[in-house]
Amino acid sequence: MAKTYDCLFKLLLIGDSGVGKTSILFRFSEDAFNISFISTIGIDFKIRTIDLDGKKVKLQIWDTAGQERFRTITTAYYRGSMGIMLVYDVTNEKSFENIKNWIRNIEENASADVEKMILGNKCDLDSKRQVSKERGEQLAIEYQIKFVETSAKDSLNVEYAFFTLARDIKAKMEKKQEASNPTRGSGAHQLRANEQQRRPTSWLSRCSLL
Amino acid sequence: MSSSSVEDIPDQKELFTQDGVLLKACIGRSVTELNSVGMLCIVQTGEHTKTIEWRPIDTITIDSDTQDQEWAVVNTIGRRERTFSGNLTADYLTARARIIRIPLDELKSFRVTRNCQLIQFSTYPGVWQTTFYFQHGNAETFIANLKSHVKTAKTRHDRNTYVVVEPNTESQVLNRSFAELDIFTENTTDVVWNLVSNFKQRPYETTMEAFSKLTDIVYYGNEGVNGKRDVSEEVADLLTKSMSALEEATTVTKSDEYEVISVKPTLPPRPSIPRGPPLSAEKWEGLQDTEGRVTEVEGVKQLIFRGGVAHSIRQSVWKYLLDFYPWHMTTKQLKILHRKRTDEYYAMKLQWRSMTEAQENRFAEYRDRKSLVEKDVNRTDRTHPFYAGDNNPNLVLLQDILMTYVMYNFDLGYVQGMSDILAPMLLLMGNEVDSFWCFVGFMDRIASNFDMDQAGMKQQLLHLQQLLAFASPELARHLSSKDSGNMYFCFRWLLVWFKREFSHRDIMRLWEVLWTGLPCNNFHLLICVAILDAEKETFINRDFGFTEILKHVNDLSMCLDVDRILSSAEGIYHQILSAPHLTNQIRIVLGIPTVGNVTDPDDEEPSTSMDTKDNGTTEPDDGRDMEEGSIEYDGVRIYTVTKNVWALLA
Ligand SMILES: Nc1nc2c(ncn2[C@@H]2O[C@H](COP(=O)(O)OP(=O)(O)OP(=O)(O)O)[C@@H](O)[C@H]2O)c(=O)[nH]1
Ligand SMILES: [Mg+2]
Repeated sequence: MAKTYDCLFKLLLIGDSGVGKTSILFRFSEDAFNISFISTIGIDFKIRTIDLDGKKVKLQIWDTAGQERFRTITTAYYRGSMGIMLVYDVTNEKSFENIKNWIRNIEENASADVEKMILGNKCDLDSKRQVSKERGEQLAIEYQIKFVETSAKDSLNVEYAFFTLARDIKAKMEKKQEASNPTRGSGAHQLRANEQQRRPTSWLSRCSLL
Repeated sequence: MSSSSVEDIPDQKELFTQDGVLLKACIGRSVTELNSVGMLCIVQTGEHTKTIEWRPIDTITIDSDTQDQEWAVVNTIGRRERTFSGNLTADYLTARARIIRIPLDELKSFRVTRNCQLIQFSTYPGVWQTTFYFQHGNAETFIANLKSHVKTAKTRHDRNTYVVVEPNTESQVLNRSFAELDIFTENTTDVVWNLVSNFKQRPYETTMEAFSKLTDIVYYGNEGVNGKRDVSEEVADLLTKSMSALEEATTVTKSDEYEVISVKPTLPPRPSIPRGPPLSAEKWEGLQDTEGRVTEVEGVKQLIFRGGVAHSIRQSVWKYLLDFYPWHMTTKQLKILHRKRTDEYYAMKLQWRSMTEAQENRFAEYRDRKSLVEKDVNRTDRTHPFYAGDNNPNLVLLQDILMTYVMYNFDLGYVQGMSDILAPMLLLMGNEVDSFWCFVGFMDRIASNFDMDQAGMKQQLLHLQQLLAFASPELARHLSSKDSGNMYFCFRWLLVWFKREFSHRDIMRLWEVLWTGLPCNNFHLLICVAILDAEKETFINRDFGFTEILKHVNDLSMCLDVDRILSSAEGIYHQILSAPHLTNQIRIVLGIPTVGNVTDPDDEEPSTSMDTKDNGTTEPDDGRDMEEGSIEYDGVRIYTVTKNVWALLA
């Protein structure tokens, strides 16, 4: 089977139950929204290949169950993730407070160099809002993580969020490439697929292998 | 191995002897015999026959203090000058009975470990029948001597194991036939068959499955060599591979007095068992006496297990299956019970309904549960007409029942998945009270699925892995090799008993069959095995990895045939049950009485068989099968699987 992409990024969606992880993923992969979604039991993933500055990047996006007691199972799937979307629901204060716990959870179970992004979902429900945009921004600054408010329902910022995360991963890869390849370093800021074969380190090198 | 008798007073010659050799293990011997010191010899027993013999120290005395010896042989190579002696006293006879003999032409393999101090012999693939420990020094000289009598080959994957490729001169014919077979290009199964039949030992037919698993060695083991590799080494690999394959399937039963190893590597063919018609309304009525008691409960369960329940009587039958209605109650008694349960339900419902908003604001745990329920109710079976559309009153019922369950069992509370369990019940019962109590009955069986620490789920996944390894070893190996041995991809199946995998109609059928508790504990795990086994070719031939496995399993949802799966799960159950190599580990998972006085390898708890299980009802262990399974042989009581198996072994 011919490879139809240059890179594969494994991404992960986490956050409390009902914040809209599955809806965000559905919006991104099928460009649709379904008010009568079913809750996620266990784990699943969806694929979408995007074009990122001339490269075909295949995003494999994992969707987990939000309820805390399933975490022992779901964290098994954190391994190998390159980017994580931390999702809360702007109409649910508790889901926002829990972002801190989710970050701790990542620190314990995902690789240290994983890219992160915080999403405040359901921003279309302004009348029911419990968490202001400012508080979301504040939290993001505190953890030095990018932040955006989204709506899976109205298709707001969902594309932007995934593209941003993917681009950040790519940039990080290129930077690491640079650092570990100082002889080629001067001026060459471009990712070249055949330059990365010799280093089997972490997920960075996997881009060309997968 | 042959056992001694008085008649065979040896007319034999010791070719080599080694003293200070401890018997560490021997199949079929009492443990009281173990750890006794003796002498290990290689003995010429006939013109062309040689035997390894181990003689316990009691049959050996120092020459000087024996006047009345009947026979005496002077050690040829021993460290000390040493004489055998014996007199035909009763003591002597019992000691003689303890001599262990391994004719060299039966020897298949031996293994040397622990700095060459431990040696094990095998005359039967997959079993190390005897183990000896060399107290003084090591077994090197013994092995060197042994190798002068048998042609051996070491195996590539285990340098400690020697395989006898040429037991004695007579079998040189055999050796030649290997070479002539062109072993690397022939159909490998034929090769193995030839190999097997040429060894003309024991009922090897039974080991065929294990041998056929070896084909990959022949296919891939000789890349680039193309027959140039020493044939005997290749054969040695085949044999030891089969040994370890068989070893995995070997039960070692230990008790205070016996050590018994029973081996049978193959799973018998899967019987195809037809499904039956559903329990009909007429039959159901016929099974109740004039006062409404259900008679023949076991018969009812059998019928339901075979064919499920006709939809017209489900509403009534489910109440019994889910322990809401006791089978033995009369219609009158049931009316009273129903009234009582109705009152109880509404009392509990009132508890949360009467909570004021102010109260709720100060009760975070309650609030969290309530919001979890709300979120899930809105996402439960909304495509089914019964739950579809905005402001559907049935959603309110779902919510009320689940909230009342929170009050009924606050410690457990609400966990995701419960709304999935409840939805088909409410759909069927159509009213709160009956749905609630049926839901309680189902939850009682699967409460461990919702443990905070997920211990119940993890144990089931482990049990599933064990069952799969037994019933579909090839697939189990593939999954392990793809990082999927933890079976996490079956999590959804197990958590809500396949609710997400079938339509409402089919899930009702599947659940009612499973609720009968027949034919064994954890039959739902065999459902998993049946589904997975049907996908075996896809997984293996397409070399599915970690992500593909998960995806494929998730995508099976709504593509499964419930009757076919039930039928093959039952077939697999029978396969397992009649497998001669059935292990206690598997018995414990299925709630079948264990054999012998064993310790569960998993948790080191003494297995009192029936009490180790995940879900379902407990049945008493009457110990009946234990008796059936024990057999007297050669004065030694041996526990074995079943009489059939013993017949096969004998
Ligand atoms: N108004 C609005 N509703 C949303 C939005 N995203 C999700 N929802 C609704 O929120 C509910 C929960 O969404 P899910 O996507 O199932 O939530 P989840 O995070 O996947 O939840 P778990 O699978 O339980 O962990 C659903 O009823 C969605 O319809 C959004 O952007 N706006
Ligand atoms: Mg979800």
